Amino acid sequence: MNLLRCVSILLALFFVSGCGKQTLVETPSAQIEAGWDAYRLGEYKRAIECFEAASRSGAGTDAEAHALYGLASTWNLRRPGNDPIKAAAIYEKIIASAKTPAAKDVAAWSSLALARMKHLVGVDEQPDYPAVREAYQACIDQFPGHPAADEAFIHQQSTYLAALAPQDAQVAAERLEKFVAERSDSPLLSAAWLLLAEARQILCQPEASLAARIRSLETLEEDETNPTDKALTYWKIATVAEFDAGDFATARKYYNLLISEYDNDIRLFASRAALKRMDELEATLIAERAERTEASR
Amino acid sequence: MRPSILTTPSQRHKQRKGAQALSFVRVYFALFVIGAAFFWSIYSIVTTRAEEAPPGTTTLRIGHWQLETGVRDGLSKLAAEYQKLHPNVRIVQDAIPISVYPTWLTTNLLGGTAPDMVEVPRYHMPDDIILSFHNRYFLPITPYITRPNPYNKGTNLEGVPLRKTFKDGMRNAYVKETQEYMSIPLSLFGARVFYNKDLLKKLTGLNEAPSDYRAFLKVCAQIETQKNEKGQRYAAIAGSRDHLWAWEAMMFDPLTYPAVRRVDFNRDGVVSSHELFVAIKTDRMSLTFPAFKARYQMMREVTNHFQVGYTGVPLGDAIFLFAQQRAVFLSTGTWDARSLQTQANGKFEIGIMDFPRPAPSDPEYGSLMEGPVYEEQEQGFPFAVTRNSKNAEIAVDFLLFLAAQKQNEELNSIMGWIPSIQGAKIDSFLKPFEPHLEGVYTALMLRLGGETRNKYQQVYSLYQSKQIDFDQLVKEFEPFYKTRGEADYLESQRDWRRGILINEQLLAAQRARAMLGTGDEQKLRWIKYRAFTTSRQVLPEVEHSQQLALIRNGPSLKSTGPYEYSAELLDRVRRRIFGAHKEAAAR
Repeated sequence: MNLLRCVSILLALFFVSGCGKQTLVETPSAQIEAGWDAYRLGEYKRAIECFEAASRSGAGTDAEAHALYGLASTWNLRRPGNDPIKAAAIYEKIIASAKTPAAKDVAAWSSLALARMKHLVGVDEQPDYPAVREAYQACIDQFPGHPAADEAFIHQQSTYLAALAPQDAQVAAERLEKFVAERSDSPLLSAAWLLLAEARQILCQPEASLAARIRSLETLEEDETNPTDKALTYWKIATVAEFDAGDFATARKYYNLLISEYDNDIRLFASRAALKRMDELEATLIAERAERTEASR
Repeated sequence: MRPSILTTPSQRHKQRKGAQALSFVRVYFALFVIGAAFFWSIYSIVTTRAEEAPPGTTTLRIGHWQLETGVRDGLSKLAAEYQKLHPNVRIVQDAIPISVYPTWLTTNLLGGTAPDMVEVPRYHMPDDIILSFHNRYFLPITPYITRPNPYNKGTNLEGVPLRKTFKDGMRNAYVKETQEYMSIPLSLFGARVFYNKDLLKKLTGLNEAPSDYRAFLKVCAQIETQKNEKGQRYAAIAGSRDHLWAWEAMMFDPLTYPAVRRVDFNRDGVVSSHELFVAIKTDRMSLTFPAFKARYQMMREVTNHFQVGYTGVPLGDAIFLFAQQRAVFLSTGTWDARSLQTQANGKFEIGIMDFPRPAPSDPEYGSLMEGPVYEEQEQGFPFAVTRNSKNAEIAVDFLLFLAAQKQNEELNSIMGWIPSIQGAKIDSFLKPFEPHLEGVYTALMLRLGGETRNKYQQVYSLYQSKQIDFDQLVKEFEPFYKTRGEADYLESQRDWRRGILINEQLLAAQRARAMLGTGDEQKLRWIKYRAFTTSRQVLPEVEHSQQLALIRNGPSLKSTGPYEYSAELLDRVRRRIFGAHKEAAAR
């Protein structure tokens, strides 16, 4: 029996010998990098260890803000085991202690994260929209012109549009008009135009909606590594032009773009049918008018 | 064992020794067997690995589940050709049956022992698990997709970026959640009708199967009147519960296309399950809509020619019936083409035909079948490179080799599949599989989930087995669907909320990469981040509200459908046309 025990222990030691603790990397930037790698892999415990180690080793430098941001994001977004109170406290600490431009950059994203925490509620809950909008506004006011503030603005307008009420859509439309006029350099310009198109749609202004939709496409950031499917965008513009604005010339242009650029899109058949339908309708209307003119003579 | 008084001391000693030995064996036998098996397995693994990877060579493993005829041969042939170019590289296949592949893959990925390249089981595992595989265990191949494939040198694809060498532009390889290309697809798939040419000739006198729907039904009826030498009646179509999908997708469902114009409320070109629910709930639409009714009628007409009891028959039995020459037609995909050809080899000739289609003059279906059937170019056989690979660069290189025009053509020719690369020639046997890239598609989207899905499956099964007719199907299902649909829809929306949170997790990681990046890479990371934020977090917020309002309040359109011209719109059109005419006249 002793032999059996000895063999069992040896086997157990043999099998667990590969389970050694992984060593942590040394420099703050490498620790932050390792923290995000662990976060991506869903190894939140290790991510927290890395971010905590980075915040200690990088104390007093910009790396500390990045480390704390990683730590707060992990506590905020890890599932299971999220701790929103702890996350919010760390985000607020980042904002309060930001002195350098780099730390302020992290603070802007922390401010957006605080607003997103209010916006993203549990499955059976409803966001407190006034509080959510206020949180986004805090980010916009505190960090004007920062990409995080632009993103906060876009999210904020989406909360107005989600209500689908004309008065809310009017509020969003006015703000978005101002944004696209004043912030033509914003990387979120295309998103702003798209929301404006939705606002105009809710307000039953088809021609303005169509124009905004086209501007959104024109200001879209190009990413050659992303097979962005513009087929649906072309289709949406074409159908808004055909059925809401009655602008057949624009409709034809975008149906034709879909046909020429997407030779295997599901809407190809319908696009050709649409071109034929518009031709037929125009021919009918012209014939009717000719008949009427003839009759009136 | 008690010692006997009749035995001598030496005998007793021997007995004691024997008893001790027996006792030792009893106690340690299991341990001994385990130990022996353990050492034997070590010996086997070491010797096999030594054969596969002689000293000085790099061995790459490629895992997949394709046990169909030709696939392993094709990969072996191409691996040998790759080895000619790279003498120090060996490629070893791990061909695992699909029934255990997901478990095998998961175990190996978790244990860090996965092959260097693995086929991604996209449709065999839940989406969220596949996404976690992409995130955790697979390497993005994005850095390669804008560069030319070096193995395309000397072809018309020389210098063309990798992404553009694929027939679908690698759209299916792009994972929106990670904003990365994660796999290299090596083949295209599609479904058609296979038929026994010799048997068709013998039973009907025809050399080719008819492509017209009515003629096809007539031929089926003619086949069924005849018996083989054993007195067994022929079946026109070998069918099974696992074969019905192709007939549905390629013949019955496209008949419902006219409903798109009435039901596609958000005008995205396709009908979603919630849109159809709204239409039926608000009595704008019913299953008795002529296009829907026609779909069920055609299904009954065609399945009347399947062998009796097909709904309870598994996949293999239908193939067996076809291989045994007791049925003339069988529908399946490219993946079975080579296997069927091998089974028929020397016994009968196989033909492949497109699914029969009603003529425009068909009295019942002609007006509903508005065009050919649309087929998505479905790229498959996708391989990802695992993060645990010690030779990831070589693994990607091997996949690039397989995805080069000439090599992809050769590989698919051996496998009997359709190449995924532009300009790679398709095997003449597979010509009928050329996809129809323009046409009509289904509008019958009844998958709201939950209880309505279960109810539909129940009544549809009864309809398939002819226990109820179409009127009964509608009577049984539609009231239930109208009553329960909203609850099922709302339940599915809980997943939407969960999805938004998962997106936020992914975005945090993307944002961090962008914040910590430098130069052009940082710029690209921010573009990807913003694209994902807009498409996944901002717009869905509005679209979700629109969807919910549609479900609760019905469509706001009062007199016109989403693709109909209102009187007001016609006035606008008139103003534009005649305004333009006036301007033209003035000029």
